[in-house]
Amino acid sequence: MTAQSFAVVSHGLTKRYAGVEVVSEASFALPTASKIALLGPNGAGKSTLLGMLSSLITPTDGDASIAGYPLRINPPALRRQIGVLGHLPMVYEELSPLENLEFFARLYEVPNPDARVEQLLRTVGLWRRRREPTQVFSRGFHQRLALARAVLHHPTLMLLDEPETGLDPAGVELLDELVMRDPNVTVLAATHLVERTAQWAHGLLRLERGRVIEAPAMPPTVAASTVGATL
Amino acid sequence: MFRKDFQLAWRDRTGWLSAFAFAAISILVYSFAFDLAATDVRPLLPGVLWTTFLFVGIFANGQSFQREADAGTFDAMMIAPVSPSTIFFGKVITNLVALVLIELALLVLATMLFDTVLLTAELILVVAIGTTGYVSLTTLLSTLGSRARARAVLLPVLALPLLVPLLIAGVRATGVALDEPVGSAPWMLLLSMFALWATVGGALLFPLAVER
Repeated sequence: MTAQSFAVVSHGLTKRYAGVEVVSEASFALPTASKIALLGPNGAGKSTLLGMLSSLITPTDGDASIAGYPLRINPPALRRQIGVLGHLPMVYEELSPLENLEFFARLYEVPNPDARVEQLLRTVGLWRRRREPTQVFSRGFHQRLALARAVLHHPTLMLLDEPETGLDPAGVELLDELVMRDPNVTVLAATHLVERTAQWAHGLLRLERGRVIEAPAMPPTVAASTVGATL
Repeated sequence: MFRKDFQLAWRDRTGWLSAFAFAAISILVYSFAFDLAATDVRPLLPGVLWTTFLFVGIFANGQSFQREADAGTFDAMMIAPVSPSTIFFGKVITNLVALVLIELALLVLATMLFDTVLLTAELILVVAIGTTGYVSLTTLLSTLGSRARARAVLLPVLALPLLVPLLIAGVRATGVALDEPVGSAPWMLLLSMFALWATVGGALLFPLAVER
């Protein structure tokens, strides 16, 4: 396998807060287009690991590459590759769904934004309510809008933190349709719904007290050369 | 970015209206406190105006990033392919426009209450430059405190000592604009230098302030 075969290559990613190692020397590689479940108990470091991979949290040590771009340098091109769906919807309550998506489409310079925004709002079932302020929506509709925001710019890597939170069965089906079954997208999803991972996950990345205790198989050639070469 | 920030400021204008109401009441109280018939209030006006402007600015700017941090939209911007400086200037320009509008309204109110012409080009320039300085500084500092539990008190504690040079220069330059004897120091130059330092420094330090 070559470096291009991996969407994420992490080498010793570490995050310390006030001397406490929240994530400790996490090394793993995620094959391109794979769907990986990130498992671990509360406080295992899942959200911090996702935060580092999304470029939101600066690692204390180690490095990673996302689609070939080094995380430490964090160029805009790297951030265009990533879609994030977290605990918070990350949408503006004062704006309507249409205004929210139009804003993020401008931010990511999405080509043909009007058509893309309309397509997504129709897909997630918010087209008829596109001009209402987001603050009147239920938790589930917030999460649907958040899902549309996350996939708006066609990211190649989706980082999800308990993405099913607040979604009804139809919403979960939308999540599967837009993200989990997309053959072009690599997924790393932190979840506590272990039984559901059988439906979508190709592999597991398991954390315990900040350490990786189970990771998708990394061929020796990648561990020895690609990681170093990529970083 | 600017369009979004203006949209948000307009939709969520209760904070700005509260700030204006607080400032208008302050000016009104000052006007009752001074004996307008017996005393020339012009020497007191620079202090009255800048004290009011300062507290309005801190009151309103403190909310700049707080709501965004709470809603996660600040994180959404930080992972987007835009430079942190763009995010910083979006907030600075929005806060600046809103505050200058409030300050102009306060100058109109003060003109009526103190029977002194305050809406002059020179005074508006002083106010605009001084406001640029403290908006840049308080916008930067509000990012530092946006995740802290004690954020309501953190911004004034951090900002007020740093704003002392701006306050002195602002008060003195306002005195010059009102033809008051304030000495020959180049207060306008000092005010402009502070505004420039705060704006450039804010833009340069913003990426460090938001790093997690």
